[in-house]
Amino acid sequence: MFLRNYWYVAATDTDVGRKPFPRTILGEPVVFFRTEDGTPVAFEDRCAHRHLPLSMGKLVGDRLQCHYHGLQFDKTGHCVRIPGQDQIPPNAKVKTYPVVERYHWIWIWMGDPALADPDKITDFHWFDDPNWGAKASYLHVKSNWQLVVDNLLDLTHLAFVHETTIGNAARAEHAVVKVTRAPNNVVVTRWIIDQDPPPTFQKVGKFAGHVDRWQIIDYVPPAFLRLDVGATATGTGAPEGKRVGGVTMRNLNAITPETETTSHYFWGQAHDFDVKNTELTNNIFEQIQTAFFEDVAVFSAQQRNLDLNPNAPQIDINADTGVIQARRIIDRLRGEERAAMQMTAAE
Amino acid sequence: MADSGTWHRVAALDAVKEGEALPVKLGDTAIALYRLDGQVHAIDDVCTHEFALLSQGFVEDGAIECPLHAARFDIATGRCLAAPAERDLRTYPVRIDGNDVYVSAA
Ligand code: FES
Ligand code: FES
Ligand SMILES: [Fe+2]
Repeated sequence: MFLRNYWYVAATDTDVGRKPFPRTILGEPVVFFRTEDGTPVAFEDRCAHRHLPLSMGKLVGDRLQCHYHGLQFDKTGHCVRIPGQDQIPPNAKVKTYPVVERYHWIWIWMGDPALADPDKITDFHWFDDPNWGAKASYLHVKSNWQLVVDNLLDLTHLAFVHETTIGNAARAEHAVVKVTRAPNNVVVTRWIIDQDPPPTFQKVGKFAGHVDRWQIIDYVPPAFLRLDVGATATGTGAPEGKRVGGVTMRNLNAITPETETTSHYFWGQAHDFDVKNTELTNNIFEQIQTAFFEDVAVFSAQQRNLDLNPNAPQIDINADTGVIQARRIIDRLRGEERAAMQMTAAE
Repeated sequence: MADSGTWHRVAALDAVKEGEALPVKLGDTAIALYRLDGQVHAIDDVCTHEFALLSQGFVEDGAIECPLHAARFDIATGRCLAAPAERDLRTYPVRIDGNDVYVSAA
C-alpha cells in the first residue's frame, strides 16, 4: 500500500513541456504537460472515453486532444469538445492532480486534493541556492521504493557495494553511529574525529592537518533522504555544532513509487565550495552516479529474490537501526491513512 | 575504593550522561552505563532477543528500547518490560570514586 497524502517528485522540470509526458506514479498512469503560459498540469493518463493514454495525443492550445477519437480536455480536465457532437456529457472529464514546480522538480499530490498544501513540500533548496553548486538526475529502479530508502539509511554498505568507487573514501568502521528519532523523522549521525582527511575532501579543502568528519542522514517520510557530509579542521568545533570553514556536500534523494516493484529515483549532489565551477560540479556528480548505478543493481537483485519468495526470513543487525525506525514510521503512517480513509468512507 | 579485585574502572563519570547509553567493556562482557536522576547504572548491553547492542537504542522513561525490535528493559533493574525479548538483563554493582566509575563483575 502506498502513502497517498504526500507530495512526491514526479518529474524533472525539463521533462515537462508542450509534449505530453507520461509517467506511472503510485500505480496510476499520469500525463504531464505545460499550458501555453508554462504552468505544469497533471491528468490521469486515461481518456474518459475508451481508456487510451492521453499522452498519445497532442496539445491544441491549452487543451489535450486524445489520439483516438479526438476528444479535447481543458486544463481543468473537463471535456470541451467531442468531434461531431454538440452535447458534452456531464461525466466527460479526467482526473487532475495538484502539481507544484519547485527545486527544478515537478511535485505531485496523489491523495485527497483538499489536503494538498504546498508548504508541506520537503525542502530541497540546495538545487537553486546560489551558495551551492548542484546537479540532479533520475534513475529508474526495478524494486520497491522501500529498498532504496533502506539503502540510504545504512551507509555500512559503502565499503562493500562501493568498494572500488566511493567506498574507500567513505570507510569509517570504527566511527560511532547514533540514531535519533522523532514522530516523522529519523536522523543517523556518524562522526569520525581527528583523522586524516580523505583524498576527495583534501583536494578541495586543502587541510593542514587532521579533520573531524560527519555523515548525517536525515530521513522524512515517505521517502526523502538528505545526507549532509563534510569535514572541518579538528578542534574548530564542528561536533559541538559550530562549523568553521571546511567543506560540505549534500546528497539529496527523493524516491517515488511507480508500482509496488518499481520506483522513480530522483537524486542530486550539491557542494558548498567553488560553487560556480560547473566542471567540478559535474565531476562530483559523476563520481556519485557511478556508485548509484552499483546501488541500483543491488535493488533489482534484491527484488528478484523477494518476488520469488516475499516471505523468506531475514535477520536484523545493529546497522539496521535507522532502517527499522524508518520502516516503523512508514507502517504507522499507513495505519493512520487507512483509518482516515475508513472514517471518510463511513461518513 | 576499588580495593577488591572484582572492581574494574570502566569509564570517567562525566562521560556518563543523562538520557544516553555509554557502551563499555567489563573484561569480555559488553555492558552499558546509564545515568538516571544522577545515579549511574550498569547493565548488560546485549539484547536477550537477537543480540542487538542495546546502547544503540533509545533511552526513554528509565528504560532502554532495543534499536531493532523494540524490546524494552528497565535500566535500574534490568527487567524485561516488553516483547519480543523475554529474559531480563544482568545488572552490575557500581561505585563512584571521584570522576571514576567502577563496576563489579562479581
Ligand atoms: S549482507 Fe546484507 S544483504 Fe547480504
Ligand atoms: S534484538 Fe532486541 S528486540 Fe530483537
Ligand atoms: Fe550506495
